[in-house]
Amino acid sequence: MAANPMHQFQVYKIGPEIKLGDIDLSFTNASLFMLLSALSICLFLYFGSKQKNIIPGRLQLIAELFYNFIAKMISDTAGSKAKPYFPFIFTLFMFVLLCNMIGMLPYSFTVTSHIIVTLVMALFIFIAVTIIGFIKHGFKYLSIFVPKGVPVVLLPLITIIEIISYLSRPVSLSVRLFANMMAGHTMLKVFGSFVISLGLLGGWLPLSFSVALTGLEILVAFLQAYVFAILTCIYLNDALNLHH
Amino acid sequence: MEDRDFKTRLKIAKKDLQKTSLDENNKRGLFMGSAFRLGTELVAAVVVGTIIGFILDNWFDTKPWFIITFFFLGVIAGILNVIRVAKNMQKKD
Repeated sequence: MAANPMHQFQVYKIGPEIKLGDIDLSFTNASLFMLLSALSICLFLYFGSKQKNIIPGRLQLIAELFYNFIAKMISDTAGSKAKPYFPFIFTLFMFVLLCNMIGMLPYSFTVTSHIIVTLVMALFIFIAVTIIGFIKHGFKYLSIFVPKGVPVVLLPLITIIEIISYLSRPVSLSVRLFANMMAGHTMLKVFGSFVISLGLLGGWLPLSFSVALTGLEILVAFLQAYVFAILTCIYLNDALNLHH
Repeated sequence: MEDRDFKTRLKIAKKDLQKTSLDENNKRGLFMGSAFRLGTELVAAVVVGTIIGFILDNWFDTKPWFIITFFFLGVIAGILNVIRVAKNMQKKD
């Protein structure tokens, strides 16, 4: 019995079908796990910041750790001008992290392994950063497409290349997260089915691989959330401090 | 009383944040993040270039010229992106 390794990514409806015109707004397992991760972030941060002890308890320590981590990352990559965007980047990081981590639990669903979810987040960041750039610098923001010190003959070509590289940001941002999560979870499932099919005699080798992969996946889950957040910071830095 | 103690701790933590020294652990994470970045950066630019070429071809009915040129422009943009990220990594070192 070899279970289909892609079966875990199937989206199905929970409860009644809700339709708004032509748009299907039914509650699915994807929505359930998004809601779960959002709720667990809220609960974790509420209880983590409820008691303001000088010697922090476990929960407060972890909450402060996350806060410091993100605040440091923002000030390192985007400078002090990016301080007002801290809540957005913190929310983004926590949401991606929790979605990835909850996806590591058995029988759960990994929301970030669907490209539509990651693409919407990436497009939102892309559009928001572009708007911020135009608000802060006006039409001078377009100068990021024209690098300094380029001969006039090459300028049209370079500008087109720069525009392509700018437009590739949301694609690379979303594809990275989606591909890493999907590939990892498929691999876990494939090794899991090897254990079953090889049985008691030969199943130990894939089982040990499975254990190692689980550790790797947890690392990847954290790292991808980190990369997602830090790239948002880098893009924000490009929009806030115009220099190329 | 406890609230005041917390506030001093908060103040110290805020002061620490302004120091921009990266410790060893943080640095390793940064590099690993950049490594993850490099691969997709190249692919994404190629994909975007090809899609732009495809759309332009559909508009002007010039198959396959735009798709070919924009594929190569995408490749150039991708390589440029990778070089840029690598340069940033070296600068931080």
